[in-house]
Amino acid sequence: MARYAMVMDTRRCIGCHSCTVACRVHNDLPLDMIYNPVVTVGPTGVFPNVHMAHLPLICMHCDNSPCVDACPTGASQQRPDGIVFVEEKKCISCKACVMACPYGARVPNHEKGTIQKCDFCKDRVDVGKLPHCVKTCHQKARIFGDMEDETSEVYKLVNSGHPVRLLGELNTEPYVFYIVDSEVKL
Amino acid sequence: MSQKHDVWGWMLAVDFFFAGMGGGMLVIVGLLDLFVGEGRTSLLGNLLAPVFIGMGSALLILELGRPFQALRVFVNPKAILTAGAWFMSFAITFGLVYASFGFDMFFWSKWVLARQILAVLCLVTGLVVATYPGILLGRHKGRPFWHGPGIMILFLLSSLVTGAAAHSLCGFFYPPSTLSDVLGNLPKLTAGLLAVQLLLWFGYIWVKKSGGTTAEAIATQRWIKGDISSSFQFGFLLFGTLVPLVLSLFSSQGAQAAGAALVLLGGVLMRMLVVRGGEDRTWLPGEQKYRSRLPKGDEVFLKAWNK
Repeated sequence: MARYAMVMDTRRCIGCHSCTVACRVHNDLPLDMIYNPVVTVGPTGVFPNVHMAHLPLICMHCDNSPCVDACPTGASQQRPDGIVFVEEKKCISCKACVMACPYGARVPNHEKGTIQKCDFCKDRVDVGKLPHCVKTCHQKARIFGDMEDETSEVYKLVNSGHPVRLLGELNTEPYVFYIVDSEVKL
Repeated sequence: MSQKHDVWGWMLAVDFFFAGMGGGMLVIVGLLDLFVGEGRTSLLGNLLAPVFIGMGSALLILELGRPFQALRVFVNPKAILTAGAWFMSFAITFGLVYASFGFDMFFWSKWVLARQILAVLCLVTGLVVATYPGILLGRHKGRPFWHGPGIMILFLLSSLVTGAAAHSLCGFFYPPSTLSDVLGNLPKLTAGLLAVQLLLWFGYIWVKKSGGTTAEAIATQRWIKGDISSSFQFGFLLFGTLVPLVLSLFSSQGAQAAGAALVLLGGVLMRMLVVRGGEDRTWLPGEQKYRSRLPKGDEVFLKAWNK
């Protein structure tokens, strides 16, 4: 069974927000919803040693996902391949998952009365395609793949020792990893 | 715009208040019936306890994005909200049946064993309902002010205080059928619990500020010097805890009733502040700056777009 993961190589990301736009367009999101913002860390340091990084944020598809545990209706679910998604018809928008997610990855859709989130474009992944954000990224800063496949690029990157997990101390075991320049402090 | 109703609002806080107060009242009803005797609490209080829990549930439903599908909340046994919903339902049912024993028109009103079994059930379910909001909040790893078992103790304590105060008030309006020292002692119990509440809140703020993570220390600043500090210090600690503590020690019924009313107001305020305090998530690097720049919904270009 596959275990999908994403690696964000922030050394490559230039903060162009193409991924944010692609996600919003393809998922037909209302104006007030963003699944994957790109935030900027820095600049830090003193000229000429100044450093800055762009950090694409997204649902971390945690192994120990607090949002799934918090959902009273069973609308928040996790597939065996690790993808966390919301079954909209079951969601009553109690916001338990919004409050439980430490990454702010869940967004209320006020028009539908449901909570929505990134699902790694599971319908595309199921037919062998890449998520829209990954396909759009011209810098190839987003790498998507199967962590169970030892030949995959994500497997090699994650096991190279470079990537870090955001808020790893919370033990949610996120499956989105970040490669960050050593000069940038997260 | 992005922050619009994206976190729990005041209705959930008031739900916590009503549910907690109702749960606390059921705990007191159960304890007094089992260990002191029948009819020591006001029938009005016995009736209002499940009604308050029901009012809390109603507010919880109104807070939902899809209120007409609220029954789905009972589905996931792993979720704390589901457990809370079930226990609130049980507490409402047991509370109403227990209260019915106070009416002579019902043929079962003299069944002592049945009443005592219900008193046990009220005690257990009331205790869970009084505690569960604290457990719910304390499990939020990403909300530094809530995270940890401390908030559970504060909620349980506040539920018991507001429950005792509500029973006192009900007793003033509709005295218990068996007059005893209980009604006179409830304000003293309230005063004792308020003293513990005062101490625990100082301890909680101190521990969060100094003993926890950086995120906890930052989140606690709002309570010490930030936007909610005045409401917390003057509204809750002074007028919701200290003043009613003093008033409860007077023998005058008027002072005790005023104290009990202040306790209830303090209970609502505390929950509203705690829920608001949970808006502070453990921010990711750069995220706070990014989100602060997003439109709030009243910008000209957004209004034009939405036309």
